[in-house]
Amino acid sequence: MIKDTLLVLFALAGAPLLGGFMAGIDRRITARLQARFGPPIMQPFYDVAKLFGKQMIVPNSWQVFCAYVYLVGAVLSVVLFFLQSDLLLIFFVQAVGAVFLVLGGMAVPSPYAQVGAQRELIQVLTYEPLLILVFVTIYSVTGSFKISAIYAHEAPLLKELPLIFIVLTYALTIKLRKSPFDFSTSHHGHQEIVKGVLTEHSGPILGLIEVGHWYETVLILGLCALFWATSPVGMIILITATYFAELIVDNAMARMTWRWMLGYVWSVGLAMSVINIIWLYAK
Amino acid sequence: MPSLLLFMCILVPIIAGVLCYLVRIGFARTLTVLVTGAVLTAGSLMLLGHGTFTYVPPSPWAGLVNTAITLADFALLAIMFGIARKHRSKLIMTLVVLQAVPLLFFELFMVDHGAPAPGFYGDNLSLIITLLVSIVGSLICVFALPYMQKHEAHLHLKRSRQPQFFFLLLIFLGAMNGLALSNNIAWLYFFFEVTTFCSFMLIGHDGTPIAVKNALRALWMNSLGGVAFVFGMIGAHHIAGTTDIQQIIASGPMGGALLVPLALLCLAGFTKSAQVPFQSWLLGAMVAPTPVSALLHSSTMVKAGVYVIFRFAPTFAGTFFSQGLAIVGSFTFLVTIALALGQRNGKKILAYSTISNLGLIIACAGINTPTALAAGILLIIFHAISKALLFLCVGTIEQEIGSRDIEDMRGLFAVKPRIAVITVIGIMTMLLPPFGVLISKWMAIEAASNNLPAVGMIAMGSALGFVVWGRWAGILMSASYKKGLKPEPMSAFVNGPLSVLAGGAVLFSLVLPWIYSLLVKPMLAFAPYQVHFGSLDSSIGGFTVIPIFLILAAGFVYALKQAQKTRARHVAPMYMSGVHSGGPDDETFRGPMNKIVQIETGNYYLTRLFGEERLTFWVNNVAVALLVLMMGGAL
Repeated sequence: MIKDTLLVLFALAGAPLLGGFMAGIDRRITARLQARFGPPIMQPFYDVAKLFGKQMIVPNSWQVFCAYVYLVGAVLSVVLFFLQSDLLLIFFVQAVGAVFLVLGGMAVPSPYAQVGAQRELIQVLTYEPLLILVFVTIYSVTGSFKISAIYAHEAPLLKELPLIFIVLTYALTIKLRKSPFDFSTSHHGHQEIVKGVLTEHSGPILGLIEVGHWYETVLILGLCALFWATSPVGMIILITATYFAELIVDNAMARMTWRWMLGYVWSVGLAMSVINIIWLYAK
Repeated sequence: MPSLLLFMCILVPIIAGVLCYLVRIGFARTLTVLVTGAVLTAGSLMLLGHGTFTYVPPSPWAGLVNTAITLADFALLAIMFGIARKHRSKLIMTLVVLQAVPLLFFELFMVDHGAPAPGFYGDNLSLIITLLVSIVGSLICVFALPYMQKHEAHLHLKRSRQPQFFFLLLIFLGAMNGLALSNNIAWLYFFFEVTTFCSFMLIGHDGTPIAVKNALRALWMNSLGGVAFVFGMIGAHHIAGTTDIQQIIASGPMGGALLVPLALLCLAGFTKSAQVPFQSWLLGAMVAPTPVSALLHSSTMVKAGVYVIFRFAPTFAGTFFSQGLAIVGSFTFLVTIALALGQRNGKKILAYSTISNLGLIIACAGINTPTALAAGILLIIFHAISKALLFLCVGTIEQEIGSRDIEDMRGLFAVKPRIAVITVIGIMTMLLPPFGVLISKWMAIEAASNNLPAVGMIAMGSALGFVVWGRWAGILMSASYKKGLKPEPMSAFVNGPLSVLAGGAVLFSLVLPWIYSLLVKPMLAFAPYQVHFGSLDSSIGGFTVIPIFLILAAGFVYALKQAQKTRARHVAPMYMSGVHSGGPDDETFRGPMNKIVQIETGNYYLTRLFGEERLTFWVNNVAVALLVLMMGGAL
């Protein structure tokens, strides 16, 4: 019970710190990769603090509702993750957040927000089946959908499910909206400041979404870490390596179209899942 | 006691229907429908309280009922033959003859009329169906009262056709309850045919050429199901030597020969549940007035098909046929939701989503483990409530704005906030946790996870569903801020059913763990989940229903409070690259030559990938191939 309470507290307080910190490192490394100096590591926290200090301006009050529910969905999914509950349950709870992010974007008739929201739907459409397949294959190894069963498993999942791990990183890239899959947060004829589904969000509302995104980052990196759940050091190595690879890909790739994304990710993702499962049975 | 309750659930609506037909006064009709609804609700609840029962009418009655049903059976077939002749449909004439002749042979030479005839049987499965039919069905009938008045005012009819409409609607409720509670397979067939007939009549109710055409299509497809049913019934009787459904099921696992008749009965279920490749009749049925779509084609009649499959599911557990059923069901789940993605007609989206969910229910029956069966039964319950609600919402919206195109519902919240919010609630209960449909889907995925092709298709289908529902909910709320928005007035007969269904969809999700342990668990061979602290838990997975419900509910309330703090001074016009031309709620910009241009946005429908024209051909072909494979597995 005490352990659970501590875990919940860590999820609530530690996750955004970790997520914000990751965002800071992300910006720093990205800057270096682009031969810039980059902001301080703490910059995301300064940004969010500043956003919360702003006056709330919205074109539609429904957006406020959506932003809060997005945050609740993201936080609850991280809490459930730390409580080692059912992977599918965690997934469905984060889907609450995902759908309300889209609804918040669609709440304003502005063309930028609308297009962004439609594209975000396609992003979700692309990663959702992959994540479900990842969880199903984890089940076929550990015999349970619960995260606790992964910790009880003797060997790291990575050993048995290497291709599934790659499938998961595809989902990670889409979920973090990084290139080549970042098309839901960028669309403008002249500049990149307009951020697709987030176009109409500003001030504290944008701050909420930013914090929610930190939680989501932690969730998805946590899922990656599960693939080396036998050793804490392994978990850290895996997360660091994955995130660094993520940044390289982000900087090396151009944005693609949704048609390409859907076709490519579904076919590659499905093929890799099937091959990995055949391996599993062949052993 | 059961005799009275059976009378309340089966005969009362039929008598009330006849009353509606004969007494052509609006007020009397309203009263009849309301009283029938109350009687049905009470009857079905008391029947549930009474628990599992077997009831055979006492001696002279049993024979009389049997004779009456047999005669009515042939009368119904004769009527259908007459209809087919009137419309010069050789196909339907053939299908009716193919039912009538074997049925005559069956009744004359096979059934031992001297033996005591089986009567009624109610277990949790049939009691759940009875509850849904009686309560959800009654709510829809109440909703139909003002709806049909408006509908007819719109059509400028000289002579009201409402008596006939409510006659069919109420008879249908009785027939559905009869279907769920009969333990005599011949009676089951009779009620099955009555639902086919009612469906035909109600689809063609408006009498337009397209309505007649679609009604005839529904008739021939369901008659094909009827033929399959007759042959399945004869085969089952030939092997098991009885018309008693419980005895047929009991004799099942022993004789593999029973598989062929069972497969035929399941095929009948497929046509009734509009599974691919038989989906076109249900889509065509959307021309009928909306209460018909809500009652027959979403929440109740299509459930007759899955009921038959669930009824016989224990008999074919572990067979190749059962595995085939799982694949065919999940294939339907995937492709029909993909077809829904290409649609912008609200009723068609609902129709496709219905077929899709029925596919998932059938896949659960095919997987045939206790977990899967529990998932299927929960899905039957929650899908019926949410889908009936959504159909009624679309009907209401259509009467308000004159369109069922979801693009025309853009920004409905700013015009008709009440119905927009209720529709969004309906959509959320179809899509998100902690609501029942999603929890059933979660259970279905866990149950299917040993069957890779099935779970892959379910995963993709559920992602497609996310887009279908997400964009619809988004569209309804897509409006600029309006000050002092007030809910629009609504007649009590519209608001009542909508509120009860919306409240039911939400609250029943909260008590899902108890629905599971009281209603579903007793049906299963063993309990796949334990319930404690309002959570479903097993070694495979767990869903903390109540805690998640409460946390999300608290989050919703808090978010709502924050949103309500928005004042006009917080509101800014939307972003339009700095060329916005008017006030905050003005959706225009300054275009070339300084012209004011109205912005226009639209959803992705991805018709090049998911359009009906593009997919249907392939879907039907693959579905036929899979069906052949599945039926071949039974041989």
